[in-house]
Amino acid sequence: MEILLLLSVFVIATCGLIYELVAGTLASYLLGDSVTQFSTIIGVYLFSMGIGAWLSRFFKKDLLSWFIQLEILVGLIGGISSALLFLLFEHAASFRLVLYLLVGLTGTLVGLELPLLMNILKDRYEFKDLVSRVFTFDYIGALLASLIFPLLLVPYLGLIRTSCFFGILNVAVAIVVCVRFKHEVQWAKYLKAKAIACIVALVAIFFWADRIMSYSEGVAFRDPVIYSHSSTYQRIVLTRSRLDLRLYLNGNLQFSSADEYRYHEALVHPPMMYSPKRSQVLVLGGGDGMAARELLKYPEVQQITLVDLDPAMTKLFRSNSMLVGLNDSSLLSPRIQVINADAFQWLKENKKQFDVAIVDFPDPGNYAVGKLYTTAFYRKLRNALTDSSVIVIQSTSPYVAPKAFWCVNATLQECNFQTIPYHTYVPSFGEWGYVMASPMPLSQHHDQLPAGLRYFTAATFRQMADFTPDMSERKVLANHLNNQILVQYFEDEWGKFQE
Amino acid sequence: MAIIAGSTITASQYIACSEKRDKYGHITSRISGASAKAGHMMRDNVFQTPTHTKEYDAVIIGGGVAGLAAARMLHHRGMNNYRLLELESHTGGNASFGSNKYSAFPLGAHYLPIPNTDNQPLLDMLAEAGILTGYNSNGLPVYNETDLCYDPEERLYIHDRWQEGLIPQLGTTKTTQQELKRWLDEMQQLRAIRGTDGRYAFDIPIANSSVDPAFRELDNINMRTYLQQKGYQSEELYWYLDYCCRDDYGAGIDIISAWAGIHYFASRKGKAANADNSQMLTWPQGNGRLVQHLQQFSKEKTLQQTIVYKVTPQGNRVAIDYYDMRLHTTQRIIAKACILATPQFVTQRLIPGGTYDHDFVYSPWLVANITLDRVPESSGYQLCWDNVIYRGKSLGYVYAQQQQLTQVQPERQVVTYYLPLDHLDPVSSRKYAIALEPQQWVKLITDDLEKVHPGIHEVIRDVDITVWGHGMIRPHTGFITGAARAAAQSSPYKNIFYAHSDLSGVSIFEEAFYHGNKAANALADYCS
Repeated sequence: MEILLLLSVFVIATCGLIYELVAGTLASYLLGDSVTQFSTIIGVYLFSMGIGAWLSRFFKKDLLSWFIQLEILVGLIGGISSALLFLLFEHAASFRLVLYLLVGLTGTLVGLELPLLMNILKDRYEFKDLVSRVFTFDYIGALLASLIFPLLLVPYLGLIRTSCFFGILNVAVAIVVCVRFKHEVQWAKYLKAKAIACIVALVAIFFWADRIMSYSEGVAFRDPVIYSHSSTYQRIVLTRSRLDLRLYLNGNLQFSSADEYRYHEALVHPPMMYSPKRSQVLVLGGGDGMAARELLKYPEVQQITLVDLDPAMTKLFRSNSMLVGLNDSSLLSPRIQVINADAFQWLKENKKQFDVAIVDFPDPGNYAVGKLYTTAFYRKLRNALTDSSVIVIQSTSPYVAPKAFWCVNATLQECNFQTIPYHTYVPSFGEWGYVMASPMPLSQHHDQLPAGLRYFTAATFRQMADFTPDMSERKVLANHLNNQILVQYFEDEWGKFQE
Repeated sequence: MAIIAGSTITASQYIACSEKRDKYGHITSRISGASAKAGHMMRDNVFQTPTHTKEYDAVIIGGGVAGLAAARMLHHRGMNNYRLLELESHTGGNASFGSNKYSAFPLGAHYLPIPNTDNQPLLDMLAEAGILTGYNSNGLPVYNETDLCYDPEERLYIHDRWQEGLIPQLGTTKTTQQELKRWLDEMQQLRAIRGTDGRYAFDIPIANSSVDPAFRELDNINMRTYLQQKGYQSEELYWYLDYCCRDDYGAGIDIISAWAGIHYFASRKGKAANADNSQMLTWPQGNGRLVQHLQQFSKEKTLQQTIVYKVTPQGNRVAIDYYDMRLHTTQRIIAKACILATPQFVTQRLIPGGTYDHDFVYSPWLVANITLDRVPESSGYQLCWDNVIYRGKSLGYVYAQQQQLTQVQPERQVVTYYLPLDHLDPVSSRKYAIALEPQQWVKLITDDLEKVHPGIHEVIRDVDITVWGHGMIRPHTGFITGAARAAAQSSPYKNIFYAHSDLSGVSIFEEAFYHGNKAANALADYCS
């Protein structure tokens, strides 16, 4: 009988440490900066255990029943904690608060376990035997947990399944104790039923873990996946490494938090420098709010109309605290109007004219997106512009795909736009290209750039507009709906590059 | 070769009963199409003498493309006191269209090739519809980019995978490729060639083609014979041309004359600032887009669901007797003149003493609009606008939503499946087609598609079937240059005019449009 209780000490200890490790890992996945995350999570966890230990003094009667109840509760909360955190990551306005609350709760419950158990066992052992045995099993459990966690659990089960699995173990302890001590335990049947219900729930989450977050996908990305969601239009994935946070749409990198400022400053500031008026700005694509962030640095910008297809994207970048930190809450600004619509369709119905338009679509890697780079599209866009408006198109890499890049340029020229192609180096992307264009000849109208830019200067821009021979203008056709030549250029060139 | 018309395969063999029926249990289906029943009422002439009489300047009988084009031309000629009588509950004929929750779709004709630059009446109409937006500095038409067929246009399923384009390439020998190239070069030459009368050997409208016997005699041999005479041997080339003939005429190279077979290629001399003769104008609803434009002119003047059963010339007047299917009454219109925009097998039954010359043969067709979750992925080139199966019984399918501009993938896809019913002679095929239940069509269509998309039955939700008993005029050997066609060009009555693509011998939009215009102009001239 004693052996059984001591074995439960061992299980409890393993589970307790696992929950702590899961919380620490999850926090560093989701929030980055693992040293801070681990250290604060451990601190909060240990402190909560202290609270739990203190609370144990209030339990005086029916200790075994309380212990069983406690095991069920720890199993349930610890078990669902990581699934819950992954789900909440998207929705919770303050993810950190939820995280620490959950860690605190788990810590408190785990902190209650051992004192309670020692109280149960205190009449069956000498005090020194009790302390020695309980702590021996406790520390062996801790060692086991710390070894299997990185070596077996994270790589093979993933975080959601790991916490589920240990939640199940916790509840299993409750059941075993319940059965073994059925004569000493109050309401044994009721507790057993409750425990079984919890196990069923945890097993269900264990098997649905893939739905909650596809681990198979983790393999396709360099860094741990912290968020993935299939919206109606695309698969949105966020990964987190020690250095950066990355956004992937349908497996294609959209930005790395480490160097996205280079990409977005180069995207936004040239057209702002060249456009005589800059009060009404249109952003097509750019649901991550980064381009909008740059635009909001200009007090003259009265209104940004951001048209992005996917409500899941704009919602994510409006509500997640970490992402809102990246785009400086741009999507929450009173100066922005976010419209979730198809750009082609929206342009067809739009009556408004804009001074500047930032066109930040995914690369033309398929025929559907390719339509957004055609003369038909640019002619529609022209209707939303004045004669002096300036637009910019993100135009893939002029180094990897020079034909595709110059095809965008040629397409705009065929629509009677004057163009200035330029490029810049974004470490996570490589050499990247843009085409700035206007119905009128382009000239610089503003010298003053907003304060706080980390990369872009007027001098840098002069270099950007210079193309080395390996990226120089190619003889290409313009992209039409009925030739979709851009998609072919793009596939050929990127295909070769990736071989 | 593919199924050849006139062969003796029976209906039951055609629908090989291979698998359990419940495999298709979840697929809803129905048959629509030209009202054969109503048409046969006309044929059997079961009507009473009309009680009411109205008078108009003109009457157009038949609201297909020819009738609609005639109405438009009457409008442009300032003649607005007319009525257009249509058997169906909608006008449009072969270019009719339908729609469901997911897409519009054609019920018949689905594209217009880039028109020849000398076909000014057609260009004018396209400009009027906003499809042609202007002319460039070289005088070439500029088409609205969104009305041109989007890339990727065509793919062919051959040797168990899809290749880009319809001309067989995959797994073909060098000899075959040389022959295919030789064929295309030959067509390119014939495209430019003119007869001794200075006219193009092959032109649209056909009426403008040269009468030089050197070319006209090609109508006396079938397409296969022509290919044999020219020393072509490759199976792929024979298949390709058989496919083309079935596509445009509803019958293969053993039936279709060499002149018509060549016309398919050599008459297409279209040019544009932003397209060439290999390209098409197309819309999700197919040529329904053109019909929608034409309908505007006659919307208020159209009497639908009317069966015209007798047209009687009365001196300077014509009496048109019809049965109104909605009012269940017979009516009479007295007009100064009328246009019979009906096929010859109808026309000749309407006029006194008319005899239907059976040299006019019509190909029966099946068109099915299939709603499915998603066209299954299969190996090779991706889903295109036109998807053809090498040596297939059908012509494959057209994916209408290709012409959508939005990024939003439709919740379900709709493809239009084309099957020329040329496995029997036209009369037997027609009888066979009328006897089939919708579920039998579903099985037939699904089994055909299973060959290229295994398991497709699971994702098919609905099949909307249109049977065209007399789908298109068939330019069989000798028909284009024959006496029957020549005799049918004009009516024996001064105030009755004919307009139908069967007068050309090929069933294409341009010909129907030409005859509609021609008849309307003749009528307007007569009345003034």
